[in-house]
Amino acid sequence: MNKIVTVKNLTGQDTYHIIRQTGEESYTSFPIQADNPNWIALKTAILEDKAQLQDADGNTMTAEQAKDFVKELP
Amino acid sequence: MSYLGNTPTTQSFISGTDYFNGTGAQTAFTLSRTVASVNDIQAVVNNVVQVPNDAYTISGTTITFTSAPSSGTNNVYVRYLSTTTQAITPSQNTVSWSTLDSNVQGDLGISFKNKIINGNMVIDQRNAGASVTINSAAWTYVTDRFCFLGQATDGVFTAQQSSTSPAGFNNSLLVTVTTADASIGASQIYTLRHTIEGFNTADLNWGTANAKTVTLSFWVRSSLTGTFGGALNNEGTRSYPFTYSISAANTWEYKTITIPGDTSGTWGTTNSHGIRITWGLGVGTTYSGTAGAWAGSEYFSATGATSVIGTLNATWYITGVQLEVGTQATTFTTAGGSYGAELALCQRYYFKKGPQASSDVRYGIGFSASGSTTTAYINVTLPVNMRTGPTSVDWNNTLALWAGGTNFQVTAITITSSGASVTDCLLTCTTSGITGEKAFQLVAWSSGGGFLGLGAEL
Repeated sequence: MNKIVTVKNLTGQDTYHIIRQTGEESYTSFPIQADNPNWIALKTAILEDKAQLQDADGNTMTAEQAKDFVKELP
Repeated sequence: MSYLGNTPTTQSFISGTDYFNGTGAQTAFTLSRTVASVNDIQAVVNNVVQVPNDAYTISGTTITFTSAPSSGTNNVYVRYLSTTTQAITPSQNTVSWSTLDSNVQGDLGISFKNKIINGNMVIDQRNAGASVTINSAAWTYVTDRFCFLGQATDGVFTAQQSSTSPAGFNNSLLVTVTTADASIGASQIYTLRHTIEGFNTADLNWGTANAKTVTLSFWVRSSLTGTFGGALNNEGTRSYPFTYSISAANTWEYKTITIPGDTSGTWGTTNSHGIRITWGLGVGTTYSGTAGAWAGSEYFSATGATSVIGTLNATWYITGVQLEVGTQATTFTTAGGSYGAELALCQRYYFKKGPQASSDVRYGIGFSASGSTTTAYINVTLPVNMRTGPTSVDWNNTLALWAGGTNFQVTAITITSSGASVTDCLLTCTTSGITGEKAFQLVAWSSGGGFLGLGAEL
């Protein structure tokens, strides 16, 4: 599952990241940025109904909610 | 007048006769020419023609008689029956790869010709041989530089580095179907992919009239037989689907595919993706195209290719992957030429620190400084210049910030925006209960398995 989290950067601004659990105790994260290949692939998969998205509280978005959400992101 | 082969004037027969004096004791005589066979000469003793092999043998310029010719003057003579031996210099562009002796082919296995990194599947930084389940539409790396795409529903397969390999190799990449998908949707894709960075394909001149032909070669083995497929593409607008056949189940077979350079489309020539190579494991019709021709679409495989994912427990292995300029598949070599060089090439795209040994209770990954009560920053120096500033970070939940005998478990690690470069990466560790502006060490606090990985994959 792909969870969106917010992390403050060095200047105190909120930045968005995806955290994905990849194993029983392992994770990967990547920033939501227009040129990030991991984000590009995930965004494409969400728009093609091939991946799901969770909000920061762990609630799984519906496919339509996820699509609408990612369309607003870079 | 034109002619084929060597110059007639030097290739034609030149007659000749050597005369010797028999002594009754001497059996070996030195000829004026080198001959290759007893049949290339006629030896005569006392005007009696001698029987080749029985009466005499030849070695280079030495003729040796079984019995010493009797004494006499010029009573032994040798007449030459074949053309003279000559050194032949082949004309330019007349010696092909297949003409060369196999040992010479091996000696000419020059490094840096192979554009595939980790084509022999030896390096597996992420998983160290462990099996990985592919059950999502996220590209998932198994052995370095090779990643899989699956589906969140329907078919599932595992992938892992394997020690089953053809002669001359130690490893391969193994796929095993654990949940079959016998009815693949039009847009569904199960595939293996390797991406070559644009810097390493720029010399091919693809997208121009001077596009160079390349040859893809690899070893493959499967529990299935039939015609399988794959493709080269630029991710989006240009693709070259190809097929290869596997004729015997569970047997390694060597495959070569020659691809004419693409004179159209846009192909990356810097640090973005250059050429993507995919091997279809089950690809829907939307992403399958006609084999053997360039097309203006995104394809991952060839139309009608055998679906590996369609058969439960089916296996498929691959190793020895090589992509090189030219029409001939030559002897496999790694891109770097040595294990260390190959690892460094892999680290341009992924670098893993750890995992720590099981005895390392506090394996130190690096030092950090807290920025608030919930965050700390750690700067990681990269072992090689990466393709770009790291774009992803991997970790496991044994990591903690440690200071003064207290562990603060890290709940998330993210790349700090504007903090990533090709030589260093600034990471934000999220935790709780720490004191701001204090130094910590990022450690794996339980025994075994702690790691940090940074990715800059294409």
